[in-house]
Amino acid sequence: MLEVNGLSTGYLGKDVVHDVSLGVGTGEAVAIIGSNGAGKTTLFRAVCGLLGISAGSIRFDKAEITSQAAHRIARQGLAYVPAERRLFPFMSVRENLALGCYPAAVDPARLEFVLGVFPPLGQRLSQRAATLSGGEQQMLAVGRALMARPRLLMLDEPTTGLSPKLAHAAYRALDALKQEGLTLLIAEQQVPLALSVADRGYVLEDGRVQLEGPAEDLAKSPAVRRAYLGVA
Amino acid sequence: MRAILATGALLSLVPLWLGDSRFLMGLAIGGLVFAAYAVAFNVIFGETKQLFLCVGALAGVGGYLSANFADRAGWPLPASVVAAALIATGLGGLFSWVAVRRSLDVIFTGIVTLAFSLSYANLLLGQRTFTGGENGLAVASGSETAIRGHASAYYLFLAVLLTYLAVYRLLQRSHVGWAFRSLRDDEQAAELAGVNVSRYRIQAGLIGSAMLGLAGALLAHHEGFITPSTYAFGHVDVRVLVMLAFGGIGTLLGPVLGAAVFTITDELLVGVGQLREVAYGLLVIVLFLFFRRGAIPALTSRLRRLRA
Amino acid sequence: MTAVVLDGIVLGLQFGLLGVGLTLVYGLGGVLNLAHGQLAVVAAIAAALALGAGVPAGVAALGGVLMAGLVGLILDASLMRSVYRQPTEGRVLLGLLLTLGVSFVIAGFLVWQFPIEALSLNIGGGAVELLGVRMRRGSLLASAIALVAGGALLAFFRLSTLGRAVRSVIQDEEGAKLVGINPASIRTFIFVLSAILAGLVAITRSMTSPVPVTAGIDLTILALVVTVVGGLGSVPGAFVAGILLGIVNTVSSFYIGQYITSIVLLAAAALTIVLRPSGLLGQRP
Repeated sequence: MLEVNGLSTGYLGKDVVHDVSLGVGTGEAVAIIGSNGAGKTTLFRAVCGLLGISAGSIRFDKAEITSQAAHRIARQGLAYVPAERRLFPFMSVRENLALGCYPAAVDPARLEFVLGVFPPLGQRLSQRAATLSGGEQQMLAVGRALMARPRLLMLDEPTTGLSPKLAHAAYRALDALKQEGLTLLIAEQQVPLALSVADRGYVLEDGRVQLEGPAEDLAKSPAVRRAYLGVA
Repeated sequence: MRAILATGALLSLVPLWLGDSRFLMGLAIGGLVFAAYAVAFNVIFGETKQLFLCVGALAGVGGYLSANFADRAGWPLPASVVAAALIATGLGGLFSWVAVRRSLDVIFTGIVTLAFSLSYANLLLGQRTFTGGENGLAVASGSETAIRGHASAYYLFLAVLLTYLAVYRLLQRSHVGWAFRSLRDDEQAAELAGVNVSRYRIQAGLIGSAMLGLAGALLAHHEGFITPSTYAFGHVDVRVLVMLAFGGIGTLLGPVLGAAVFTITDELLVGVGQLREVAYGLLVIVLFLFFRRGAIPALTSRLRRLRA
Repeated sequence: MTAVVLDGIVLGLQFGLLGVGLTLVYGLGGVLNLAHGQLAVVAAIAAALALGAGVPAGVAALGGVLMAGLVGLILDASLMRSVYRQPTEGRVLLGLLLTLGVSFVIAGFLVWQFPIEALSLNIGGGAVELLGVRMRRGSLLASAIALVAGGALLAFFRLSTLGRAVRSVIQDEEGAKLVGINPASIRTFIFVLSAILAGLVAITRSMTSPVPVTAGIDLTILALVVTVVGGLGSVPGAFVAGILLGIVNTVSSFYIGQYITSIVLLAAAALTIVLRPSGLLGQRP
């Protein structure tokens, strides 16, 4: 569904991501793992149109989206949940979710579905997004992205600011969504969690793909274990 | 400094060239006054990015106050001028100080100073006893002296302009000036480097306002008659903006160049009436849209690149 | 005294409408449109010309307002795009200076072409009594229009999808992009809307006193003061500030004088900036 070829991108003329190629098949869950500063966020921002590209191409469902503006890419079914979430702070949970359907008005059936995935949101529909807890904000951010019935959901470090319990709950929800057929691309520092849900993974370090393969292979790879799992 | 002396030498030849034409000399003196205003605005805006939309008003404070001090209170001319200039200095310094203390950014400084400009205009219209309202005020003081003449007034204003240029140059060259220039590019970096951004802003506000007040006061005594439109926003501020945007914001001689070009242009456009306003509006748009630091600097750097 | 206050409210409602347009454009893009008042004058002159040509009042008024919207659209397409492309720091300054230039261009052109035009919409019929005060029908109609417009705006922003989209761009532009909202289109829409609102104010003002071709600067300053006092970017703030300042205006004019009143209003803006930059209801300082 998503094909990234030879992508290089960065800030202020200096590339941070070099020649990255990756793919996500329909119905797959793919993880991008790497430490802080590896370039995961930069890569994601480039893919979803928030950052300019210096080289390479991106195809979404066979369509070229390489230099498209973020809002157009979003309307084609690629939903991105950044690490900072980017909620609308002075709007209620309900309004935030409603905007997920833009330009259409709220789809009640879809709202039901999303609230089913994240029940706590249902109890806070009138609450302002800025007053939610970290975990609730994360749920709202993912929920808002889901409202548009995306074909591909990209998540950048979805466990940021979440307690271990909430992080596990988040990944259980993602797993459930995957079972229902949603295609996922997740950037994650917490390797075990990421690999628990992913089918395949890429290891990104210094802006380049260092390793790739099926999730179980990566989990067993000595290099990965040493670098990210702290296992000697 | 050599550039200033050269400019001074060049400009001092103008009266010889213009001869006895009262009209042309009046224009030339007007040009010098606007050049002085532009240098002052350059100090405040060009160097420290404070958008003082009250150039005319501060000059007007100098003008009307000095006229009143001299004619009504009977003070000697020099004392009136200095006192008026000091009050203008205080006002401008106040704006800078408030902006710094409250960490106001450019838009708020612009609004506050614009509000001051308009309030002052209304004050001039309302306080008839002191200002003559829209009919204007005759300024008796100075009428028998050199300041009322043609060539003599010209050289006086030229000396004032050259002094302002020298002050500007000294500011640029001093450690204060280094701070000014680093302010232009990155305020946060300047702060980190230990540059006291706030203090320099206030200093610039004070110095620039002093320049404006002094020039405005001298103008009042030279002309012998001032009206609110002498110092109005639409008359002064817009022209100064265009002059600086053309000649080069933050350059030494940009204000002088801009003043020269637009004093002439202004006169050429007199026949067009209201369309002159349109022309100035278009100039502001085009100049600020296409040239970040000024038309002349952009053109000279392009020329330099072509030659290289 | 009641009469003065009621007059103040009538005036204030229009002040509010005037400020709303300005505050919206600022809230969305950080641009303070110093040509706002001139857009109102465009509507006034267009309507006056239509009236002079025999067009019925309602149609002329509508035409004027649409004309203002058209000019706003042209401005947005030509100049504003360049301004929005700047990073925030340079944008504010460029916006101020460019719109200042535009205001001179529009004012200069209109005064040159139509030096003595003014719009006056005479609403016939006798006076009406309200709270023991005789009010002209023109005042009441103007207030009614302003109230309806204000209500429609509030409903629009609260309830409609597009209105919500506008608020989202103000609150988090990147988040808006991620849900498929095009901030540039929204900004164009709001700019045209603000021009239409300015035109509407010219129409309502003309029901109580003539709007001359030279009114642009005064209207811009009024809008500026209302916007600043209400809080840059706050629509309810603009209305509240508008009504307050309207009352201040009429009371001060009645008891003190015209020139001092202008100074009082400007001082209100300056004081707000110095003491409470976020204004009465502003969300961001």
